[in-house]
Amino acid sequence: MLFSSIPFLYYYLPIVILVYFLVPKSLKNSVLLLASLFFYGWGEPKYLFFMLISIAQGYVLGILIEKYHGSKWSKVFLTTSIVFSLSLLGYCKYADFFIENFNYVTGLSVPLLKIALPIGISFYTFQIISYEIDIYRQNVKAQKNLINLGTYIAMFPQLIAGPIVRYADIEKQLVERTHSLADCAAGVRRFSIGLGKKILLANILAEFVAEFKGTDEPSVIFFWAYALAYMLHVYFDFSGYSDMAIGLGRIFGFKYMENFRYPYISATVSEFWRRWHISLGSWFRDYLYIPLGGNRVSKARHMFNIFIVWAATGLWHGAAWNFAIWGIFFAVVLTIEKQWLMPILQKIGRLSHIYVLLVITVSFVIFDASDMSSALYYLKSMFGLSALPLISEQAVYYITSYKMLFLIGIIGATPLSKSVVQKLAANKSTAWLINVLEPVMVVGLLLLCTAYLIDGSFNPFLYFRF
Amino acid sequence: MTEKIKNIAIVSLAGLCIFGFFFWGIIQPDQEMSYTERRPLADFPEFSLDAVLSGKFMSEFEDYSLDQFPLRDSFRTLKALNSFYVLGQKDNNNIYLVNGCISKLDYPFNESSVNYAASRFEFIYEKYLKDSNAKVYLSVIPDKNYFLAEQNGYPALDYQELFSKIQEKMPYAAYLDITGLLQIEDYYATDTHWRQEKIADVAEFLAEKMGVGFDSEYELINTGKPFYGVYYGQAALPLAAEEMYYLTNDVIADYHVFDYESMQEVPVYDLNKLEGADHYEMFLSGNKSLVTIENENAATDKELIIFRDSFGSSLSPLLAQGYKKVTVIDIRYISPAILANYVEFADKDVLFIYSSSVLNNSVTIK
Repeated sequence: MLFSSIPFLYYYLPIVILVYFLVPKSLKNSVLLLASLFFYGWGEPKYLFFMLISIAQGYVLGILIEKYHGSKWSKVFLTTSIVFSLSLLGYCKYADFFIENFNYVTGLSVPLLKIALPIGISFYTFQIISYEIDIYRQNVKAQKNLINLGTYIAMFPQLIAGPIVRYADIEKQLVERTHSLADCAAGVRRFSIGLGKKILLANILAEFVAEFKGTDEPSVIFFWAYALAYMLHVYFDFSGYSDMAIGLGRIFGFKYMENFRYPYISATVSEFWRRWHISLGSWFRDYLYIPLGGNRVSKARHMFNIFIVWAATGLWHGAAWNFAIWGIFFAVVLTIEKQWLMPILQKIGRLSHIYVLLVITVSFVIFDASDMSSALYYLKSMFGLSALPLISEQAVYYITSYKMLFLIGIIGATPLSKSVVQKLAANKSTAWLINVLEPVMVVGLLLLCTAYLIDGSFNPFLYFRF
Repeated sequence: MTEKIKNIAIVSLAGLCIFGFFFWGIIQPDQEMSYTERRPLADFPEFSLDAVLSGKFMSEFEDYSLDQFPLRDSFRTLKALNSFYVLGQKDNNNIYLVNGCISKLDYPFNESSVNYAASRFEFIYEKYLKDSNAKVYLSVIPDKNYFLAEQNGYPALDYQELFSKIQEKMPYAAYLDITGLLQIEDYYATDTHWRQEKIADVAEFLAEKMGVGFDSEYELINTGKPFYGVYYGQAALPLAAEEMYYLTNDVIADYHVFDYESMQEVPVYDLNKLEGADHYEMFLSGNKSLVTIENENAATDKELIIFRDSFGSSLSPLLAQGYKKVTVIDIRYISPAILANYVEFADKDVLFIYSSSVLNNSVTIK
């Protein structure tokens, strides 16, 4: 089920909220777990089995890791759990990728498995692995209550698109969390902003991208407009979903970590990755980069670590070479940036933003490409190397038609509007205006999003493939 | 307003919205039809274990929840208004508006579609017309984009290429160019079709070129019913209804029209269709596969066979003034392979008249 769908907004959500707040405290996690399993099973009933078995192994092996702490068995159980989780992920997500490449290299024709990727498997697999490792590291205690652990792993707000929530962050909230009007209002506000980002910006930008891809009049400026539209689309799609997850969590008393902090205002690519999909970046840092030795190793080994982490980051996003190359592209850029570019970037001041945006634009063109030859064609076309006209009539039409959306998107990707609102709210003479406008905006966004959902069936969710 | 009151307002208003529509959706009886979109609405899906396990139930429930949502048409209007007037988008779901006239983007020129249509026409020519001494004519009706799109900065197909291509593919047909006789005012503002009262000159031109010229006078009759065309529903914009007229005279009133689907005589102008969703269906009873018009008052014994789309419904009664019998065939609803069972082609005039939009999207032609 999608958050940005009528069944979720007007059937599932009111029922779950009603039941959740009516039942006594002792049953709230059970309600959340059952609701989450229903949420997951709604779209993928057959994959509920994968989720249930993942919860079960996480539960049993977590307890065993803790019980045998200090002995070799603890490591055996941890390894078993990680191998199990990664095998399941590998089977569902990467099997056909490996078979295709195996066939390509050997010339054999091993048939593909053609497994549909279970929704959210990349997210809940990483949550389980972090939970097991944290128990092994004695950062957290194993959860003895299966319902509580199931709630942590399966909880619907963050289940299918993150943030990747660490058990340590919500361990206490699972057993003793409070609910307040302020939290509920903040959650509703955050959810409606996320919903607006997804439906009113990301989806409409995706329509521009679709128009571009269907054009018979490609031109250099159309390629650049596409790259900008796709870049904004990815941001609003993913950060919108994260906002909805954080908002829903807040309504139910959970405080999730921020996942995006205006990444497009970054002055360096390193900063971009501290602002973009923060929960994934920190997961790879804590559970892969540092265990590999981080930067406290030889220079060659450090380079190797960086490339492994970024190739894994790329492949996490999808089982295809363009994702791996997208990740490695960042490894190269970040290495160059750290080794040589940093002093120059500090010297050129605000111009460094142009460098970051250019790098990110190129990276997302690779990310969106169906294969590397198409990525190269797109990049060549953007830089005028495909013998295309500078502009076409269709480009003029669509850029004109979407210009307001581009403007809103560009402004919305910066903290400008947030800072204006905060300033107005802090000023006593204008605070009343914000207090009046905020509820109007929340309900206005809900109604407008509902209008867009009803009008169109175009509502694909980009991150399902993760 | 304090922070607490603001929070109460946020939670209350959002709760009212979500719970309000939830209960409204449950209480409201399901609608069968969307009259603005002219389509049946989804019913509540059948519940079974198989349907749940296969995901069919969920997918159908999604359709149901969208179709049966309270105030559905008002929400569609809200979306259209936001697209046009807040975001300043030039079209909404490919529908655009120029000076109160609605049209739908249709581009680029689809050569394979035109080739497909031409191949079906060639099949008819080879099977029935080649050795039948029939005189074959071709005419293409420009759709509204011909007058609106390029002139107003909207992407348009290359009409000259389309006209040339269909002529090139039909060398056996004499081309009758009617583009100079038409202008945007000859079409309904909210519909795809042309207005019958505006195409008398087109009918006279075609008749003259086919050698059965006539110069008729008509009585212009207002149906008296507000007309909302097919684009009205798709645009979802608050636009005024149009007036709908039809042309008649003593000759037309004397026609005998026979519908081969219902195997009965039907009126030239079926006013009962004005009670339905599509008023344009009043012309020759709308989308019919095979209809004949017999004109006992004709000055000649000549017969005409028209291969047409829906534009032909309003044109055929006018053209029939010059013929003893007109056979009107829509090969979107009948296979051309079986026409010999119903139609004699020898020595007839044969007119292929199609709108450019059907030629450019010819998948429905059999």
